[in-house]
Amino acid sequence: MDMSQYRDLFVSESRGHLSAFNELIVQLEENVSDRAAVDEIFRHAHSLKGMAATMQFEAITALAHRMEDLLSRVRNDEFAFSADMADLLLEGGDLLSGMVSIIETGEGQQPDASDLIERLTTFTPGSTGSKNRPAPPVADANRVEIATDTPHRNHQFRQSDSFKSVRVKTEILDRLVNITGELITTRHRLSDQARRHTGAALDEPLHQLSALLRELRDEVFQARMLPFAFAAERFPRLVRDLARKQGKEVALQIEGKEIELDRGILEEITEPLVHILRNAVDHGMESPADRVAMGKSHGGTIAITVVRDKDHVDITVSDDGRGIDPVRIAAKAIEKGIIAPEQARRLSPQAALMLVCAPGFSTAAEVSDVSGRGVGMDAVKTAAHALGGTLVIESEIGRGSRFILRLPITVSIIHALLVECGTLTVAFPVNAVARTIELKRADILEDNGRKVFALDGRHVPIKSLNRLLGQKISPGLGPIVPAVVTETGGSAVGMVTDRLLGQQEIFVKPLGIPLGRLKGLTGGAITGDGRIVFVVDASALA
Amino acid sequence: MGATVMIVDDAIFMRSILRGIMKDKGFTVVAEAGSGIEAMKNLRTHNPDIIILDIILPDANGLDLLESILKARPQVKVVVCSSLVQEQIVKKAMDYGAKGFIQKPFTPEKVIEVLQGLEA
Repeated sequence: MDMSQYRDLFVSESRGHLSAFNELIVQLEENVSDRAAVDEIFRHAHSLKGMAATMQFEAITALAHRMEDLLSRVRNDEFAFSADMADLLLEGGDLLSGMVSIIETGEGQQPDASDLIERLTTFTPGSTGSKNRPAPPVADANRVEIATDTPHRNHQFRQSDSFKSVRVKTEILDRLVNITGELITTRHRLSDQARRHTGAALDEPLHQLSALLRELRDEVFQARMLPFAFAAERFPRLVRDLARKQGKEVALQIEGKEIELDRGILEEITEPLVHILRNAVDHGMESPADRVAMGKSHGGTIAITVVRDKDHVDITVSDDGRGIDPVRIAAKAIEKGIIAPEQARRLSPQAALMLVCAPGFSTAAEVSDVSGRGVGMDAVKTAAHALGGTLVIESEIGRGSRFILRLPITVSIIHALLVECGTLTVAFPVNAVARTIELKRADILEDNGRKVFALDGRHVPIKSLNRLLGQKISPGLGPIVPAVVTETGGSAVGMVTDRLLGQQEIFVKPLGIPLGRLKGLTGGAITGDGRIVFVVDASALA
Repeated sequence: MGATVMIVDDAIFMRSILRGIMKDKGFTVVAEAGSGIEAMKNLRTHNPDIIILDIILPDANGLDLLESILKARPQVKVVVCSSLVQEQIVKKAMDYGAKGFIQKPFTPEKVIEVLQGLEA
């Protein structure tokens, strides 16, 4: 029997077991008396071993077998579960994940697990046989006490996965979105031609086509939705490992795991969230001693809250750590030449905090080995904007910080406001537009040498979209100039342009190289009349 | 038509392999289940001749499940499939009324051999 046909299934199912395994171990560490969790962890190791044995993957079988053995001694009350054991089992889980990846790609040799197998086999509580492990923090004793009354655990009952659902490769889902997007573009072109050549004869079928396409779009997007839990499953482990390494105590709470987002968005946002979490543990959290000295609780808390608001989700990462001081941030930005001292004086505390996202604010030389592997807050903000979302940072010194990512729920097909700007047609995602306004000459004022206009009692600066995009400024502007007001991070900007063309649904595609490198452009689309439009990221331009 | 089979295993991977083995060997897989609850539900709706039962499931103890299955359908032939080689579990399963045992990892020949042994 040819076993290779089952390889993909083996890989995907093994991954599922391993991620549940990791998650449960971290969970068990917080409540060591949770017997059901022990049983479940055992079952995951056991299933993985059985599958690997069937596929004749000996290295995986042997390692999973030893882990299963150790766990069965916990099940039989021979050993109590401990942080040392968790370290060892998590190390095993990581090695198994690596082995599964090697199976998946078919490249490379399976690593030698004999050292770990030896340590698993000879493990006795207390003397771990593992080297250089820090002693568990004193507070572990407290944890055990809290754990004596068993809180209810979310038992994840598996949905019937036998015949009612099928697994679909993600590329197929991506292709479906692509085709749906092209269909919507084609429909716009068809309506455009019909209006010109056939009068009203095609109105009825076109109307129906539109309705069907909307339905198709909704269904395709629905098929791509994944719960936030998918991205979040490795966060507890990440926070646990970082905190343990630094002798800090941090509990991670996640709320709104069930909220669904497009898988593309989820994928793009996972690394930025990891970065925010790293920062929170690394820079935000104080040591237990410092916390107690400040009158805070021994251990800190990081909370991720996911909330859906119409066609947006807000992902908020908040911590109760030391907070960020805007004055210090501004001083550092001046030192690095990111802003001039006189600019710094004009900054609101909110705007000063956002300087942590300025390119060049954190350099590779000063990020420690845990924080910022290659990405800084600059990359976090860029990722949010590329998805048509925003990032807001709030902080209170001594009390903690909040990072709020506001993201659209789906990608690719968006409502956009089209404007004409010199020879270009440019699209603003509608959710980035606060309002449009027609300014009379007399409305334009001067404030500290800047052009502004008054909106709801405050002065909003005016910028020329033509100038920002390197277009000619149209000569002889009429008495009225149209402007698009965008708002990010609490500050509004009015973008003056040549003409507002109206709203349309567009199918956004990524720009290739070299256009993709242009600042302020996040994608391209084709309109019904065949014009190419550029989608702009207003906050990157302003 | 040959005997009808239900496969109870929480791993889709294992179910697929077992299904692959039985294909063209005169057995028809009429149902699959990934949990004890599903197994009991499918037992009532599909009424299979044979059940291949993994002993470790997310929501049930395999031996308890075996007992419930045989209580509901005394004539169904249950084959326990497991990599737990503890003799007492195998013995207990047989005492409860299991008709066969397949140890994981298995070969296709072994699976077919055990299943054909049931029919004789």
